Amino acid sequence: MRRDRTRPNIVLASLLLATLVAWVGLDAVSVAPNRIVPGSGVAAWEVAGLAGLAVSLLPLLAGLWLAGRPTPGRLRLALGLVVVMLAALPAWLALAAANRVDPELPQARMGIGAGVWVALFLLLLAVIELRSRLALSRALGWALLLAPLASLATCLALWLEPLALRQEYRGRSEQFLGAIGEHLLLVGVAVTVSLVLGVGLALAMRHWPGVQKVGFGVLNFLQTIPSLALFGLLLAPLAWLAANVEWLAALGVSGIGWAPALLALVGYSLLPMVRNTFVALDEVDPGVIEAARGMGMSRGQVFRQVRLPLALPVILEGIRITSVQAIGLTAVAALIGAGGLGTFIFQGLGQAAMDLVLLGALPILVMALLADALLGALTDLLRPGGAR
Amino acid sequence: MSRGPARLSAVRAGRRWLAPALWLLLLLGACLGMARFEGLFRLVEPDSRAVIYARADFLVLLGRHLQVVGVAALLAILLGVGAAVAVTRRGGRDFLPLVAQLASMGQTFPPVAVLALAVPVLGFGTLPIIVALVLYGLLPIVRNTLAGIEGIDPGVREAARGMGMTGGQLLRQVELPLAAPVILAGIRTSVTINIATAAIGATVGASNLGDPIISGIVNGNTAYVLQGAVLIGLLALTVDSLFARLQPAAPR
Repeated sequence: MRRDRTRPNIVLASLLLATLVAWVGLDAVSVAPNRIVPGSGVAAWEVAGLAGLAVSLLPLLAGLWLAGRPTPGRLRLALGLVVVMLAALPAWLALAAANRVDPELPQARMGIGAGVWVALFLLLLAVIELRSRLALSRALGWALLLAPLASLATCLALWLEPLALRQEYRGRSEQFLGAIGEHLLLVGVAVTVSLVLGVGLALAMRHWPGVQKVGFGVLNFLQTIPSLALFGLLLAPLAWLAANVEWLAALGVSGIGWAPALLALVGYSLLPMVRNTFVALDEVDPGVIEAARGMGMSRGQVFRQVRLPLALPVILEGIRITSVQAIGLTAVAALIGAGGLGTFIFQGLGQAAMDLVLLGALPILVMALLADALLGALTDLLRPGGAR
Repeated sequence: MSRGPARLSAVRAGRRWLAPALWLLLLLGACLGMARFEGLFRLVEPDSRAVIYARADFLVLLGRHLQVVGVAALLAILLGVGAAVAVTRRGGRDFLPLVAQLASMGQTFPPVAVLALAVPVLGFGTLPIIVALVLYGLLPIVRNTLAGIEGIDPGVREAARGMGMTGGQLLRQVELPLAAPVILAGIRTSVTINIATAAIGATVGASNLGDPIISGIVNGNTAYVLQGAVLIGLLALTVDSLFARLQPAAPR
């Protein structure tokens, strides 16, 4: 036991070592005089001189030393160090902006380099590793990230004016908020509609086994059609409908825009939703149902008070999968004019403006992670008695 | 074993390949004979000058699509199964919790976002797509390989050890065969997603079956979109039915 505890934590050690290599070897930032010219890379030692680089390496080396003989106390210290390093990343960018971006050029912009991205990724992995090694709660893990987020917000507000991502945002702040709204609206409506349809379909499948076979067949078939193809295939029929059915056209239905996007999103969302609801309702222990009937509950009461609450966590799992999937698919829907954050991705790809791509892709990533975390926490909360 | 059941199973095996073969025939037929349906596409797009996508041959596009997806799938299988096997050995056990958590968390990353993030790092063209597809395709394979190996009854492993099997024998003769259906299911998920994501790759300068769709959407030519969509759909169905045959009775 004692020997086991003092065995070096090779996971933490290799993560920190990789961070060190990336930090020293890869470009910290890239600087460009304007939007059109591609940026030139700036290595870590050019940001604040060799002395600055040496200082920035101190916490990494300390962390490596702590990983060598990991008692719980030292691991906690290491976790603190990693959080401090994460919080220091925006400050490092601010330093780079102050030292390397020419204040004479109002168009000058700074991109975040591979070194900083890789360091961010590896340090987040270190947080995950240390959190599970120290058996900290999920909530505490998220709380730890508040310090780096606060640091990022402060640096963005005060010193990171030349950051390319921020400059792209400044030109379209209203568009950006609108796109987030559209994205959330599309995802929300698609998930709600597929939840209602999915539960109805699952109930119908439980009643009529014939529906079950056909239903799962169709939904599985739908799932194998690539999203881009499905969006494309819906163009023609919807355009035709809009041209021939007046009230649909009045509703704003057309071959491009939200209508085909929503239809495709609901189509893709139905399979996970129906599958989870069906399995959840089906897997409730028959003994429990028997007991409830024995207590004199009516069929409706059994369904509402026993079957549904017991099935709820698995149904919520279906909602989680669906939401995360829909957030990603909505990005593709931008190609058929449905709006949302995907617009920035495809605009950016079209103009070869990588920071615009980031402006679209990063919020989508954050949104997916948040939806996953929130709905996952809700599922844990609703699991009766924490059982299963 | 008598010869009767053997012949019966051979017939059954032949029948099992029927669905993939039919989808493949349809796919190739659609690639070669798209121009024959000009009249049909004319119905959809009566005003356009051209209704058949002619910037590249459909077979060439199909080949490029398959090439990108195939290379990515091969790399993802090698890396994914390798990583999952490595972290379930004694030497790599320490990395297991992190890799498992990463694989389940990575599922939440939308493929489009991964693709979009790969472009600033790797530039336009085929390479970023392959890298993005490998990265994204890795996760279901790692997750399923882990689940497959971890899900094996410890008693089975014990028995194999008791029979004097070495670590390598245990892996090759017991663990991998027992985990194979779950691993295959992971590869199927990975390849299905990648066929779709590769089509989106047409927006970052790779030329494949996504090309007609993108070009159709940009130029407002629904006929092009239909041609790309039909071909990608047929490709997805061909590959999926192939996996369905390889994977005996494993529920999705």
